[in-house]
Amino acid sequence: MTQTTTATAPEPSRAWTTVARIAAALAIPIGGFFVLGWLLDFLKDDDANRLVIAVVAIGAGVVGVFALFWAMDTIVDWLPARVRESFRPYVFVGPALAILAVFMVYPVVNTIVISFRDARGDEFVGLDNYEFVFTNTSMLRSIRNTFGWIVIVPLCGVTIGLLFAALADRLRRGEALAKSLIFLPMAISFVGASVTFRLIYDYRPEGFGTNIGLLNAIWMGLGNDPVAWLSQQPWNNLLLMAIMVWMQTGFAMVVLSAAIKSIPDEIIEAARIDGASEMQVFRRIIVPSIVPTIVVVTTYMVINAMKVFDIVFVMGNPESNGTEVIAERMIRWFFISNHDGRGAAIAVVLFVAIIPVMVWNVRKFREQEAMR
Amino acid sequence: MSTIPVPPPDRTPGTTDTPPARKRPGKTGGTVGVTQGGWFVRIAVAVTVLIWLIPAAGVLVTSFRGADDVRTTGWWSALWDPFGTDWTFENYRTALDSGGFANAFLNSLAVTVPATIMPIAVAAFAAYAFSWMEFRGRHLMFVLVVGLMVVPLQMALIPILRLFVGGAEIGGVRLFPDLDLNGSFLGIWLAHTAFGLPLATYLLRNYIGSLPSSIIESARIDGADNFTIFWRLIVPLSVPALAAFGIFQFLWVWNDLLVAYVFLGGTADTRVVTIALANLVGARGQNWQLLTSAAFITMVLPLVVFFSLQRYFVRGLTAGSVKG
Amino acid sequence: MRSRWTLLAIPLLLGAFLAGCGDDDEETPAGDGTPEEGGGDTGSVNILFAGEPDEAAAIQDVIDEMINADAEYEAEFEASGTFEEQLQIRAEGGTLDLAAVPQPGAVQDLAASGVLTSLEDLGFDIAELEETFGEAFLALGEYEGEHYGLPTNINLKSMVWYPKDDFDAAGYEIPETWDDMLALSDQIVADGGTPWCVGFGSEGATGWPATDWMEDIVLRTAGADVYDQWVANEIPFDDPQIVAAAEKFGELLFKEGYVLGGASATPDIAFGDAPLPMFEDEPGCWLHRQASFIDTFFPEDAEPGVDYDWFPLPPIDQEGILFAGELTVIGSNGNRPEVKDFLEKFISDEVQCETGGAAARLSPNVNVAADCYGNESLGRAAEVLAEANEAGTARFDASDLMPAEVGSGSFWTGMVSYVQSGSTDQAASILAEIEASWP
Repeated sequence: MTQTTTATAPEPSRAWTTVARIAAALAIPIGGFFVLGWLLDFLKDDDANRLVIAVVAIGAGVVGVFALFWAMDTIVDWLPARVRESFRPYVFVGPALAILAVFMVYPVVNTIVISFRDARGDEFVGLDNYEFVFTNTSMLRSIRNTFGWIVIVPLCGVTIGLLFAALADRLRRGEALAKSLIFLPMAISFVGASVTFRLIYDYRPEGFGTNIGLLNAIWMGLGNDPVAWLSQQPWNNLLLMAIMVWMQTGFAMVVLSAAIKSIPDEIIEAARIDGASEMQVFRRIIVPSIVPTIVVVTTYMVINAMKVFDIVFVMGNPESNGTEVIAERMIRWFFISNHDGRGAAIAVVLFVAIIPVMVWNVRKFREQEAMR
Repeated sequence: MSTIPVPPPDRTPGTTDTPPARKRPGKTGGTVGVTQGGWFVRIAVAVTVLIWLIPAAGVLVTSFRGADDVRTTGWWSALWDPFGTDWTFENYRTALDSGGFANAFLNSLAVTVPATIMPIAVAAFAAYAFSWMEFRGRHLMFVLVVGLMVVPLQMALIPILRLFVGGAEIGGVRLFPDLDLNGSFLGIWLAHTAFGLPLATYLLRNYIGSLPSSIIESARIDGADNFTIFWRLIVPLSVPALAAFGIFQFLWVWNDLLVAYVFLGGTADTRVVTIALANLVGARGQNWQLLTSAAFITMVLPLVVFFSLQRYFVRGLTAGSVKG
Repeated sequence: MRSRWTLLAIPLLLGAFLAGCGDDDEETPAGDGTPEEGGGDTGSVNILFAGEPDEAAAIQDVIDEMINADAEYEAEFEASGTFEEQLQIRAEGGTLDLAAVPQPGAVQDLAASGVLTSLEDLGFDIAELEETFGEAFLALGEYEGEHYGLPTNINLKSMVWYPKDDFDAAGYEIPETWDDMLALSDQIVADGGTPWCVGFGSEGATGWPATDWMEDIVLRTAGADVYDQWVANEIPFDDPQIVAAAEKFGELLFKEGYVLGGASATPDIAFGDAPLPMFEDEPGCWLHRQASFIDTFFPEDAEPGVDYDWFPLPPIDQEGILFAGELTVIGSNGNRPEVKDFLEKFISDEVQCETGGAAARLSPNVNVAADCYGNESLGRAAEVLAEANEAGTARFDASDLMPAEVGSGSFWTGMVSYVQSGSTDQAASILAEIEASWP
């Protein structure tokens, strides 16, 4: 990286100056938020028409942000020219860092601390919770299942998304509609998705009425007895993964589609003229050209698969059905069984598990930057 | 600012007319193999779309059926026998009549719009800095920001709530003032902004970082400072990515239940649409006809937003990442 | 640039349209009345509730009429689908006013975390409360000498429902003992029917109805004292007496032809769906053991006392009655005069009588007469409870008293494993696993 963006600023690399800069950059946005806070408390008490409140709230929220940045930038402009541009980066990243520090970093640190404590979060118990995480049968099953989730869901999502994007790209008409329909599941709230799939996987034994689940209807139409799909271990995991694939493939598809369309035509044309078949064009030209996008999409889907909770929690009893996953175990231990220590330890395992993914990403980014 | 190269204007994917500049051999005839590819493509796409739609179709059909029907027969039977079934708008009427629905809708809007714009704004600035500005620790900071994507937000709820309610202090030193943000819109905006920032920064940085460096270099040579470059150059170029992420964030915040429940509560004056409808349905989830109509009601606005903005979206997130 | 404005305009226009045309509900409790210190919290009392929205709405009507109408504050009953999670979050986060908690074990946990306000701190006279509710019930919410839970609901669990019209027509008789009940079941089988409808499905909580069965049987075989020891873990979970109770349960459940759909299907049948076959013209089953709230799941046109009725689960070696209830706790945000005022009114005889009739809730307040409950069957339930309480044979649901890891965790999943195993052989080992999970 040999950019010379800060050609005018000297480089005082003493630690305290940097710290002072960061502190100032953080202080400005935090102060701004407090002002906003007082403003809005007054809004909250007002008994005026709901619409007025909503509009003012929207306006205040939106304008507030821009005003904040503008204000910070102006303040930086008042600084002596020498240091202006070296301060500027911190103005840009300051608000983001401030918000994240308060709302995300602090809870993460809090969680790590609690993971070494007992159920109430009071006494120090060393590594007991971690021992539990790696020895308890249910936990081990959840780790196995989560591993399945992070492999299968991104694989299916990205593959289907990629193929569909490539195919839809070649449609003469109706491409927009087709893509929108695949994207539709993302607009359905989680409540909607769970109902949707309960209507598919539902099971009723003999005597309790007709089966209203689509899968059983098809299965029975083939001459079999109805099956309690969500209780069939270990295949029930695949059925739950199908739900996430259904919901998330639209995202992958749309993003990959945009990337495919950015590939310069000349390259593809040239290959076709050279006699390459469509499969070869796809495998040798299209896919390698969009690798950065595939990285982004895969990362997003892997992280989502790691955090999956709602789907598993709502479809039957995970422990009895063998469908536990890490995030679901975390919620169960933390909120339902009220064991803060174990819940926190499971969360920490999740944090640690993301590290390989991030390392991979950083490496890709550095490659990309080096190419610039 | 001299010439600003903009992505070639003939790339308008997502619209129905074929841009003349881009020839697709399969569409204009050509070799035999490729024409057959045309049919294959259409069938493959149609089959996939059909499979994808079946679950949603089930929900749609169920939302128009009466409670007893839903409990006793499968939804497809309504399709085989359209005149015999008892279609009804009752479910939608019940959902909409549930006290204060319009109020909940306004609350949802008041929560979602700022909670969409704030993270985009904050992340755009940060993404630009991470990709085009030099400063110490930028790589580490970026990795930290993005690594936070994995934090399950449930872990953050209680600490944040405590902060909102009582502030924070260590050893008598007040670190965070007692703002009583609980139940106010500012609280939930901040929460959503925080939860959405890691992904926003990740995606935007990827896009902004792949803009041609020549543009920025020439702007700098022309004497523009960073803020001007950002405001006049980067933002207009990034509109597709900003709009694309905006749609994601809108969808996510609009459909969110947990964060709104925790920070705004379930009482009639502050609750959002998702909570109003979840309350309708109850803990045991047995009222499927209400569940399905509720699901569709909450879906309408995000779909409208998506359809109206999908031209940007489709051109969206990574159009720049393939350059060079 | 224009796209951003478009993005803004669409929702705003839609919002304006809706606000103009939609109903303009002025339900703004925080804004009404007395906005004192600008915080919006005084002037409203929020009660987090674990039941169904219908029940909450019925209670809300009573509250509006009898309490909110005359008071300066506004009380709101909020039903939550994710009660346990919300309770934890709000209690620990500090935003909880009141919560009607169905699990005394959870009350203990919260009290231990220090996030609750005790009844003494709020200014209640414990002696008076003990007279109204009985010492036992109040003691369930006791932690380190202070009381944290105010009883606001009680429900009877040892009930067997049956389709009365068909039952009488078939000439069956209500059994007085357990063996009679088994004989009745045999008779039904001989007549070509299936006696029992059983369903344990409840999403993440699947298995809890089976724990009720176990508790009922433990009470009736080993007796109330052993039951207390079992709850407190003074005897291990796999104590021979408990194992014997599990085997007795298995005798009924696993018997060929006794259970509609078979024992292994029971975890997959939603508990709310389970009694429905009783209401068919030709009853698919005849007996359903479930708590008093199950009548909200019966078909709308079914009439109590005509189409269906109930009898108490018969004794085996001992008498016993299982019940459950709510303890209302006060969060750290509830330490205010309006909250105390609301609570006093809510537990008063008059209001409890009204909620009894309107919302079909049994009151733990001993002064509430049985004729308050408009429903004859509820009135009978209240009597059964009162009798058992006096005789000392009534006990609170064990899984609600045990630590959450067991009572809302391993006990449920253990029961599911047991019923799926199909035989009583596994009873001892499964109970041993539950014992091992005790914290």
